[in-house]
Parts: sequence; structure tokens; C-alpha cells
Amino acid sequence: MTLVSQTTEEGGQNTPLKFLKTYPMEIILAALVIFLILVAPGFASTANVLNVLRTVSMLGIIAFGMTAVIISGEIDLSVGAGAALAGCIVAWFADRFSGVFGDWGAVTVGFAVALLLGFMLGYLTGRFRQWFNVPTFITTLALFAALRGVANLITGGFPMSSFPIGFDFLGGGYLFGIPFPVYIFALTFAGMHFLMKYTSFGREVYAVGGNMEAARLSGIDIWKVKALTLGLTGALTAVSGTLIASQIGAGTGTTATGMELDVIAAVIIGGTSLFGGKGRIWGTLIGVLFLGCISNGMTLMNVSEYWQYVVRGGIILGAVLLNQVLERVR
Amino acid sequence: MSNPQPRSAVLQGVQGRLDFRAVTKRYGPTVALSEFTHSFAPGQVHALMGKNGSGKSTLVKLLAGVTGPTSGVISVNGEDRHFTSPHDAFEAGIVTVHQELSLVPELSVGENIFLGRLPHRRRAGFSVVDWAGLHKRAGELLADMGLSIDSRQPVSALSVGQQQVVEIVKAMSFNPSILLLDEPTSALASREVKQLFALIERLRARGVTMIYITHRMSELFEIADTCTVIRDGHYIGSVAMKETTPSAIVGMMFGDAARATRPPRRALDPARPVLEVRNLSRSGHFQDVSFDLYPGEILGIAGLLGAGRTELMRAIFGADRIDGGTVTFDGRDMTGASPRDMRKAGLGYTPENRKEVGLVQSLSTADNLCMASLGPIANKGLISRRREQPFIRRQIADLHIKCGDPELPVSSLSGGNQQKVVIGKWLNRQPSVMFFDEPSRGVDVQAKSQIFDIIWQQAADGLASLFVSTELEEVLEVADRILVMHHGAVVAEVDPTKIDLTELYGLCMEGARQ
Repeated sequence: MTLVSQTTEEGGQNTPLKFLKTYPMEIILAALVIFLILVAPGFASTANVLNVLRTVSMLGIIAFGMTAVIISGEIDLSVGAGAALAGCIVAWFADRFSGVFGDWGAVTVGFAVALLLGFMLGYLTGRFRQWFNVPTFITTLALFAALRGVANLITGGFPMSSFPIGFDFLGGGYLFGIPFPVYIFALTFAGMHFLMKYTSFGREVYAVGGNMEAARLSGIDIWKVKALTLGLTGALTAVSGTLIASQIGAGTGTTATGMELDVIAAVIIGGTSLFGGKGRIWGTLIGVLFLGCISNGMTLMNVSEYWQYVVRGGIILGAVLLNQVLERVR
Repeated sequence: MSNPQPRSAVLQGVQGRLDFRAVTKRYGPTVALSEFTHSFAPGQVHALMGKNGSGKSTLVKLLAGVTGPTSGVISVNGEDRHFTSPHDAFEAGIVTVHQELSLVPELSVGENIFLGRLPHRRRAGFSVVDWAGLHKRAGELLADMGLSIDSRQPVSALSVGQQQVVEIVKAMSFNPSILLLDEPTSALASREVKQLFALIERLRARGVTMIYITHRMSELFEIADTCTVIRDGHYIGSVAMKETTPSAIVGMMFGDAARATRPPRRALDPARPVLEVRNLSRSGHFQDVSFDLYPGEILGIAGLLGAGRTELMRAIFGADRIDGGTVTFDGRDMTGASPRDMRKAGLGYTPENRKEVGLVQSLSTADNLCMASLGPIANKGLISRRREQPFIRRQIADLHIKCGDPELPVSSLSGGNQQKVVIGKWLNRQPSVMFFDEPSRGVDVQAKSQIFDIIWQQAADGLASLFVSTELEEVLEVADRILVMHHGAVVAEVDPTKIDLTELYGLCMEGARQ
């Protein structure tokens, strides 16, 4: 309802407070970075910063897609397993088909297959929800288990590492002094930001997640929108999985274990609502950087790995609490 | 009567006196209620009137303990109270029946009434729920209110009207001295309203003080003793119903607002209907419906709640499956099309429950206005606020949408303005046919006449409309031609200039002219 408006001098008085409310995670991230620069030995060194960026790139590429999925009101739990599978597919093609396609040809074909498979699995997950009313939580939970199994079946349970020479550049190399995955990360960020903000598809994602029925009655093809966001995330997962395989020099069924949790955590820390309809790609960027800085900082400060898990859990809960509290005071 | 509990479930008459002294409520810089001072006499039904945004809802929230006043005092039975939670209001003897039903559909009527305070008894050393006792007491309560509802059946098996009554019985089981009824009839059919009023009469006879909020003027004169009007957060006045008239109350509510007057009906060209519906059926909802709709025509559909009006419109729009019949749009067969196809063909639909399915509440007014026309606005799939701006501005100006900043969430708008956003969303596509389902529900009189003006204006420009409203006088006023639906079938076609309200009401009730 509209309230009777009465202008008082309260209007522009609390600008710093408003800033705090609008950019809470940005401020917290800045504070964390300053804290780590002062306290964690070597945090601000160029080598370490680049290292952090490389690590968050793998996570972030998927997280930007996941943001769209969560805004559309769905979830994808299969991205960790999907990344492992993509790496294994590329490695398997490199191992088996270099005779047919040539060394790089086999890798390229393998990547194309992984990309298409990732897209199709996500897309079909969305269509499954439409055709059989199976929640994406269930479908992707099933994929979470099954895809890792498939990855191990392909590789026979051992790392496959017959990549061509120079393949390690994709995940581990530098271009103009910056790790190569960071370029992909930046491109994905720009692309997803643009998609969500400046295309009618992006607007439809928000509408579908905000109110499915209202979107449907507005003539939006809600299932297509959901299936496409899931498909997009599947494809981005394949990209990230390939980069990871390149970085570690092998495709194995055990990489990226637990990655889905970090991805979802980054999205949530970035202020995206699990209820759908609300969220920003920019927020996810902050969330990804935040997670990267925290785990790197704790490692530098020799915090035990077990404590790191506890802290991460606390951060996820704290971020959600903060968002809820801010929602109330806004 | 083996129940040893001393307290009978049957109600005692409790009188409650309610005084407001200079009660003010601010939300930041906005004043929702300003220096409200009034005494509500005990044992009467007090209607509270005011258009949307007048501060009526704030008053309800203050009384229900949802929020506290910024300044001023509310006193109950002469005792000053400071509510900080709904529980405090409860303790003071004020029980609120909210507009939205708060019953759990899967649970039984009896369990709903005693939810959170189920009676217990000892069984083999354990405290277990005393189901027999619960249904006995619930049965007593229901019988005492003159209702023949089985307390063991699930609430989902009841009609909306019966559910509303159960809600009031639940409220009365707390033995309140003051009962707050927030638009209890907004979703009820006429017969159910009668049942509800019988219950209210009964409670008044016991001396319960009731604050009654409604948008329906006719109800006031039927049920209320006094009417208190607020406007723009200020107390305007209080009158006894015996000494006033509807126009006097409207005058108090709106000050000097003008009332919409109908433009003259025009002759239509019956040669080319834009929408032809033939023998359309959806089992369990409507059967064998046929009609034509012409450009520039407003075709009203009259009928009681459950007659199949909404179901018919949804099926034509493609939101629900159909079982038989054909839909032809602009000469093209559109039977079984999706909402997306119908939108493309030039059909728009404003649903009856705009809050739930008409708008995306988490998005801004601007986003909602552009939601159905992202395709036409976008250039090769690309979109920006700059491209959207003309579409947003035009609807805000043309439809007089009061929204302040269009970038704020649409949920901050009043009901009437939200409805205009839903309409504007479709007008942005320049449709050739619009379906208006209950466009005036929960909207104040001023916004209502503005919405009717929009419909008439669009019709003059050639838009064909289907118009549905539960308020039959609105159908008579707005439509050029009326189809009457009864039990899922079209039983009559009438000319609104040649039928009066009583006759139309009879048709809707009986399905045939008496």
C-alpha cells in the first residue's frame, strides 16, 4: 500500500549508513583483504594474488552460471561431478583418438563432446522437471552420484594424462603475466553479466524465478528458460572441468570433489536468494573472491584444514543471516 | 458430559471498549496514521472505511499487535496497552481474523480451531492428544454458532465461505472482547455472505465489539452500526449507519474525487468477430460454451463464484487444457494454443489474483511493465533500460500509475496501482483482445473508476474485451453485452440497458428467468 508521504529532513542524512546497506559484501571483502595484507605473510605478493585468481577462476566460471540457475528458482548439485567428468572425457579422447584426429584434434573433439554433454544434461534436467515434475534438486543429486561414477568408468579409476604438449597452458599457463584461466573467468563474468542484464532472456530468468505462474501468464516459455540456464551451467562446468584437468595434467574421477558446495556458497554469499528471482552476477564475483581470499589467507596463516571447513560453514550461514537482516532494515 | 474441565467451550458475552488517543504511526519519513483519536463503543459492529493507502491497514496492524504506534495510546476496556507483539493484543482480548485465511487445509476443522493448544489426556503414563474431547468441544462451539459443520472433516473439504466461518469460530474460541474482521467477505459468494452475517449478528447479540473492514458499501448498511472513515492517515469522521447514505460515506472517503461516468454505447460491426469460441468444454469446469467477440466490444460475463467464468478465460488464453471445442482468433484456428501463442496472436489476460500470478512482486514496476513485451522492446534479443523507458513512461502516464520511482519493487504499490501495472504490461503489446478477470477486486473506488475508464478508452480505440466481475452492478455498468454463466454453461445473453440488477442477479442464481 502507498503511505502518506511527508518529506522531512531525515531523507539524505544517513548516506554512509545507506552505503553500508547497499554494499555489505563489497565492504566486508575490502576489510578482509586489508586484514590479510596486514596479517597473512605473503598475501599481497604478486605470485600469491595470481595464485588466488587462478583458483577462483575455476570456481567462478561455474558460479556465474549457477547464479542464473538459482535466480530462475532451480539448483544444480552436479557441477563438481560434471567438472570431473568433463576433464575425464577430454583426457579419454586425448588418449584414444589422437591417432584419428591428431593430438590437438582429439583434445578439441573431446572438449566439444564434454561441452555438448554438459549442456544436454543440464537442459534435460530442466525438461525433466517439466515433463515428470522431478525437482532439479533430485535430478542433479542423482547426476552428482552418477557422473562421478561415469568419470571413473571412463578412466578405469586411474588418472589419464596423455595430453599433448602445451595442453597444460590452458589451466596452468600465463598470458601477459596473468594466468590463462583468469581470462576465461573474466570473459564468463562479462558475458553472464551482459546476458542477465541486457538481454530479454536474462529478464525472463528473473521473472520466472520471481513468480513462475505470473511469468507463464505473461507468455514467457518458463520451461525453456529454466532448461537453458541449467544447460548453460552444464556447458560452463565442462569449460571449468577442462581447465582443471589441464592444470593438474590429468583427467581423474576424483577432482573437484565438493566443488558444488563452494560454487553454491559463492552464489549465496553474493546475495542471490535461494528462493529465486533475486541476485546479481556482480554479487557472485564478490562471493567467489571472498571465498578465494579466505581459504588462501587461512592457508598462509597455517590454519588447519579442519578449521578452514568450520570457518567456511560459518561464513555461508553468516552471509545469509546478513542478507536477511539487511532485507528487513531496507 | 464426562468432561471434567470446568471451562465450557460455549461463549460468554464479553463487552469490549476500545479507545484511540492521538495514535500516530510513522514509517521513516512517511506518516501512515496521524493523531487518530476515536472511541469504539462496546457491543457494536463498527465499519472502518477508507480507500487503499488511507491508513486502514496500519490501524489493523496496530490493533493486531503486528506493529506498535510511534506515539499515542490505545486503551482496551479503559486500560492503556502497549502492544509489542500479536501475543500482547491477544492477551488484551483482541483477536484478528485476517483477510488471508490462516487455516491448514489438510487438518480437520476441530484441529484447526484448537491448533497450538490441543487438549491432552493421560494414557498409560503418557500425555496424548484427547481427540474425542477436542471434537466434542469443537462441535459445541460450532453448534453454538448455529453452524452444521462436522468438526472431523478436513478444512480443504469446505467451501471458502465455510472456511471463513471456521476462521471466525476459531477466533471466538479465544473468547475475545474485540473481534477484528479484515475484509471477511472479499472472496465469498452472496449466499455465503448471508451465512457470515448471521454469525456476526449472533456475536453482536452477545455483546462482542467488532471492527469490520470492507470495500463493499452495500454490506455496511446491512451489518454495521457505525462507520468510521479515515483518509490520508487522518480521522475524518464517524457516523451511525441509520443516519447516513452511501454517497455521504463515499464523500467522506474521497473528499472531492470525481466518479467515472460511462461513455455512450456505440454500435458495433457484427461482420468480423475477432474471437470466435465454439462449443468449448473443460470437464468439471464448463461445457459447450460458444460466443463471438467483436472489435471495440466489451463483453461482460456475469455469474456467481464457481460458475466457470475464470476457468473459461484461462482455457481460451491457453493457461489450462481444454477437452473439446474450438477457438478462432482473427480467423485463425488457435485451439489448444499456449499463453505464448495467444500473446503472439494479440491476446492479453489480467488474472483475478494479481498479487499471486499477475505480477512478479520481487521485481520493479518497470520490470513488470515490460515483462510481456521483452521481445518487441528488445533489438536482436538485447535490451536496456533506455530502450524500455518509453514503454514504462507511456503506461505510467496513460494509466495514471502512482508509483514514485518505477525502479522500486512493485510490491510497494497500492492494489489499484498494481492492477494498472498488470493492465499496462499487456497494453505495451498493443493487443487486439483483452481478458479482464476481476480487475476491480480489492481496489478503492477511485482506482476502480480509473480502471473502468481505461477499459472504455481502449474499447473506443478498437480493443475487444472480456470483462468479469463478481460485482454484478459493475458488469452492468461496464459491459456492452452480457453473457450469464451458471454451473459452467452460458444460460443467457442480455443487454445491460434492458435488464436491472435484481433480474440479472436472479439469472445468475437460478440460471433462468423466473
